[in-house]
Amino acid sequence: MSLFRGSLTYVRFFVAGEVPDGFDGRALGQIQKKIQRPLTPEDEEPERSGWCKVAEPFGLELEHMDVFYNEYLNLGFRTDRWAIPGALLKSKLAEAEQIYLTKKGRERLSRNEKTELKELVARKLRKSLTPQVRVYDFSWNMTEGVVRFFGTSAKTQLAFADLFEKTFALKLVQEAPYTLADRLGLSKSEAAAIGQAEPVVLAKPEEA
Amino acid sequence: MDLYQSVERSRFLGRELLLFLWFESEILDATLSTKKTGSFGMWVEKEISLSVEKQTTKIRGSLPGKAREAKEALLLGKMPDKVGFRLVQGEREADFVLRGDTLSLSGVKLPTVLEEEEVIGLDAPPTAPKRKPRERNAEAEAERVAVESQEGFFERMHLLREVEEVIEALYAEFLVLRLGPAHGEFVANTILAWAEGREVDADAYAKKRKAALAGGGTRSAKRA
Repeated sequence: MSLFRGSLTYVRFFVAGEVPDGFDGRALGQIQKKIQRPLTPEDEEPERSGWCKVAEPFGLELEHMDVFYNEYLNLGFRTDRWAIPGALLKSKLAEAEQIYLTKKGRERLSRNEKTELKELVARKLRKSLTPQVRVYDFSWNMTEGVVRFFGTSAKTQLAFADLFEKTFALKLVQEAPYTLADRLGLSKSEAAAIGQAEPVVLAKPEEA
Repeated sequence: MDLYQSVERSRFLGRELLLFLWFESEILDATLSTKKTGSFGMWVEKEISLSVEKQTTKIRGSLPGKAREAKEALLLGKMPDKVGFRLVQGEREADFVLRGDTLSLSGVKLPTVLEEEEVIGLDAPPTAPKRKPRERNAEAEAERVAVESQEGFFERMHLLREVEEVIEALYAEFLVLRLGPAHGEFVANTILAWAEGREVDADAYAKKRKAALAGGGTRSAKRA
């Protein structure tokens, strides 16, 4: 399921404000500043997001034609995350703790020592693992001011909107019954009524 | 009320849109129309999910809206939160699931887009003999793939936009009826009668609907 083939599952965002003149020229530079930097075992962060070529999670060198399709701007939103299996981390940590205690001739570890040891073990394990890579396409019609994002979890949508706003300095408003009504335009009386309307209930009242 | 509060407070309107489309598609024999798009075929297909708080009723089938359990769920206070629709405009057909709380679309199946031959035909004359892949110039091949991909993308976006435009036009007219006097005058009662399985005069409803939309208040500049 993607922008280019298969069925489409997505959410829409409306871009608040106009795309400034000369945006095309500047946008590529702004995107390149936020291109995904793959996670390395030495990195402190457990997770990192950035842009990549649309439908190509490992396409991290972007040219104008990779991004701009006439009035559309298309990119992939990529998130790399270390996912160390819990059981593996637990067993390696127990092993490391035992070695440490034997070496120090002690019976217990302090809380700080435990935390430091856990971080050390996790970093060592990362060297033998590869980060989990997730990518979701998005397509921005710059004429209409509509962004279609193909990630469905609320957490991913928030992270996407955050990176979009940091990259392009434009606010996104997620589609919802209210925001679409506002976009379509309400008359004065409708605008007043939408704030007062109560949900319809078709349930039969319970008999006494 | 700030934007966040307005958004959260009005989410029920999306569920009511689903109820309204289900109701109208049934009483108007799956032929809906809007001022903007003209008439088209649209009906509930494959799935309908209704819920209230944590109780959910899911019905799957070719025409789930016709299932007895669906209307029973309505009368128990459940409202549709996710409904599958089929949309037919001329020779084009699309399937999609519309979610009430967000008005987002999922599983959108669009009509078949450009045939492979048509795409290839963009950069090669129909009579040109096909060369083996290894004989092709790598750069030309990459360009051909890029052109093919872009053409397919534009076609998909165009078709997707057509589906979205129908939904937006339906929502715009729903809002006129829901937020204006029509709701109290005849819409709410007709929907209740339909849900309870009572006889509904579809022609009378259609006439009143048309009249209500004709005098539907002063539109702001944004609405098409």
